[in-house]
Amino acid sequence: MTTLGTPIQGVTLYSFTRAFHAREYDLEGLMRKAAAEGFGPGLEIIGFSSFRGFPEVDPAYAERFRELVDELGFVQTSLAVNADIGIRRDRLMTQDELVEYMRRQIKAASVLGFPIARVQISLTPDSMEQLAPVAEEYGVTLALEVHADQYASHPRILALRDRFEQVGSPFLGFTMDWGATTIGFAPSLLEAYRRRGASEEMLAAVVDLWNRYFEQGPPADQAEHGQRFGAFIGLAAQHGQPEFGIDFGINGTGIFGPAPVDDWLEIMPWIRHVHGKFFGIDEHGEEPSVPVRSLVKLLVRNGYNGAISSEYEGWHWNHWQDAFDIVRAEQAVQRSAAQDAGSRMLTDAAEARAALAAHLPVVR
Amino acid sequence: MIPDRIIEQGTLRTDGARAAVEVRIPWYRALPGSCIAGATLRIDGVDAPAESLRWRMNDREFTFAELVDELEEWWFPADSAVLSGELPVAADDADHEVEVGLQLYIPYIIISDSDVLRIEEHDRKTMKAVAA
Repeated sequence: MTTLGTPIQGVTLYSFTRAFHAREYDLEGLMRKAAAEGFGPGLEIIGFSSFRGFPEVDPAYAERFRELVDELGFVQTSLAVNADIGIRRDRLMTQDELVEYMRRQIKAASVLGFPIARVQISLTPDSMEQLAPVAEEYGVTLALEVHADQYASHPRILALRDRFEQVGSPFLGFTMDWGATTIGFAPSLLEAYRRRGASEEMLAAVVDLWNRYFEQGPPADQAEHGQRFGAFIGLAAQHGQPEFGIDFGINGTGIFGPAPVDDWLEIMPWIRHVHGKFFGIDEHGEEPSVPVRSLVKLLVRNGYNGAISSEYEGWHWNHWQDAFDIVRAEQAVQRSAAQDAGSRMLTDAAEARAALAAHLPVVR
Repeated sequence: MIPDRIIEQGTLRTDGARAAVEVRIPWYRALPGSCIAGATLRIDGVDAPAESLRWRMNDREFTFAELVDELEEWWFPADSAVLSGELPVAADDADHEVEVGLQLYIPYIIISDSDVLRIEEHDRKTMKAVAA
């Protein structure tokens, strides 16, 4: 029987995008706030969001950054990096350009002290295979994010998994994003649509359509995904409010994924990092649209000892509630769920540091 | 994503012939000039001519044609850019309705074999103009 896992509590600063964007906090201020709130010890940052001039990182800056991390008692988990293959207007990047583009960011992760780089689905199995020696050179694990509209058993993800197995590098794995396995539209999103003038009738129809797709399970492939996206657009048009169509499509397929929780078992041994994606906390102190308790239980039962970054994404539309309050409440649900599963979340930095080191490959 | 923040309140400036306003990225991460696909500037219902629009970021000024190949200068989420165009606005005490439309390419979201996701965001705010 698998020993129960003890996931590391953590947060991604992406949860506080609106506060950072509003200049309420600079990076240091935001780190101090998150530390004071006890949202760590795990700390995840998006390179292109938080570091001016990224992926170039001045070594002296990196040293100061790492000192701040230590002072605040954080344990660095993932640096989220981007596979910007469409950065040029005349064509997509070639494979060689992409590998070089990713190398600079993987190096930045290493210089800044992050043991994991979150990478994205725009990297193919061939790209990941080409990047394996780069990851090993810098001692940075590449954790490709499985994000709605994909899900663990999606053909593209299985192709990546199979290639990881074939390549055999311990530096290749996945980031599990809970948005792939949601159970409903967030009430705060419906409220945001209401505030923008969406009719109750149309919102009820959107919820019905999403629930129907939930019953059917996630789309088999990109073609079915496209059909569903189109159905959301069509629904808004039928209700005479076509301006909501694209938004329904993006959120209905790309933010709220309908895969079942057990689907994650397809890639469980390759999960190196987790985005505890969520959208809000209700009056009962629970997440109504993401099955946080089931997901934590699944990780604990499968011996997962990596970090879970609480990733609050309700800020996309929820302008009226405080992100810090919401993250605080969600982490309480995670801790409670780990206890219910007979284990606990790690909140002590020294313990978390040791657990993460054991969870990730040994760096030469 | 963050369209309500595109126009920085109280930043409308005019020299009588051209008007300028500070704008913020409606996205969570930095993007290079090549991903700034286009913009519109309308004040009191009048559009600035497209060919007169200029984009200033990181102390450099660009036409939108120049931004197409710009991979060195990036628009950071905490930084303002300045959008300007030929529009005669008086620096009087009157309120002006400023509207900015912005199109951005999201370079990691590929929607077909060759196409990149392009988003369009729009913001409208009312403010007084200050002499440049």
